[in-house]
Amino acid sequence: MISLISYLIISLVLFIVGLVVMISRKNIVAILLGIELILNAAALNFVAYSRFVTNNLDGHIFSLFIIVVAAAEAAVGLAIVIRFFQIKETIHIDEATQLRN
Amino acid sequence: MFAQLLFLLSAVLTVGCAIAVAVTKNIMHSCIFLLGSLIGIAGLYATLGADFVAVTQIMVYVGGIVILMLFAVMLTGGKDFVSRAQNLLGLAPSMGNKWTYGIGLFVGLVFLLTNVKLLSNIMKSYPVKTFGNEFPSTVSQIGHLLVKEHVLAFELSSVLLLGALVGAAIIARPRKQ
Repeated sequence: MISLISYLIISLVLFIVGLVVMISRKNIVAILLGIELILNAAALNFVAYSRFVTNNLDGHIFSLFIIVVAAAEAAVGLAIVIRFFQIKETIHIDEATQLRN
Repeated sequence: MFAQLLFLLSAVLTVGCAIAVAVTKNIMHSCIFLLGSLIGIAGLYATLGADFVAVTQIMVYVGGIVILMLFAVMLTGGKDFVSRAQNLLGLAPSMGNKWTYGIGLFVGLVFLLTNVKLLSNIMKSYPVKTFGNEFPSTVSQIGHLLVKEHVLAFELSSVLLLGALVGAAIIARPRKQ
């Protein structure tokens, strides 16, 4: 039967995979992909608790704001990635050692 | 029964694609697998009765963020990014090869045939079934919550989005040396 635990397990797997992606990949865009996975794990937790525990819609609202913040974060992060590529000609994370060229 | 099937499919899609994101070496393929994972999460939202959040997830993530990521990957590919485009019939270089065109044509034909013949017959002979009222629509309640209790966060998110838009445009603009 579908219960809170099944959603929490999926969310846990997503969080761990996102963490692994963030740690193991050297491409900056791949690190942003890991961040998206972690944010989605958190949003899924909010909606699951909203259905099974509190039984109101506050979790949905919080999940919507997480999506909004994730969109803003992706826009700014990818702008920084593109600017970094214009300066360094690469997007390897180990090349990012100083704030100004 | 339907909800459990949807839950199982969405869970497998979400977890499988998420693990594929971590395992795949090609960053382009990682982005595509992330897209599958996000669609699976939208399905999980649907099984939780969160229809508005599920649709927003698909619109914002699949339609916006993943496309943005793909653009960033292609803009920052540099010299590692080798074009594999082949000429079809010796004409101008095209976006795909004969396999992609063949698969696209096949899928299009199947879609057309199922749409025109099979689906119309099925729709005529079987009336649309409703799945009961287990999950009432949450859209109007979310709308009321957004403009009553959570109005401050709602307005602040608009300021955040404007700031992110202007900031991204300023950061990424080309500068004169």
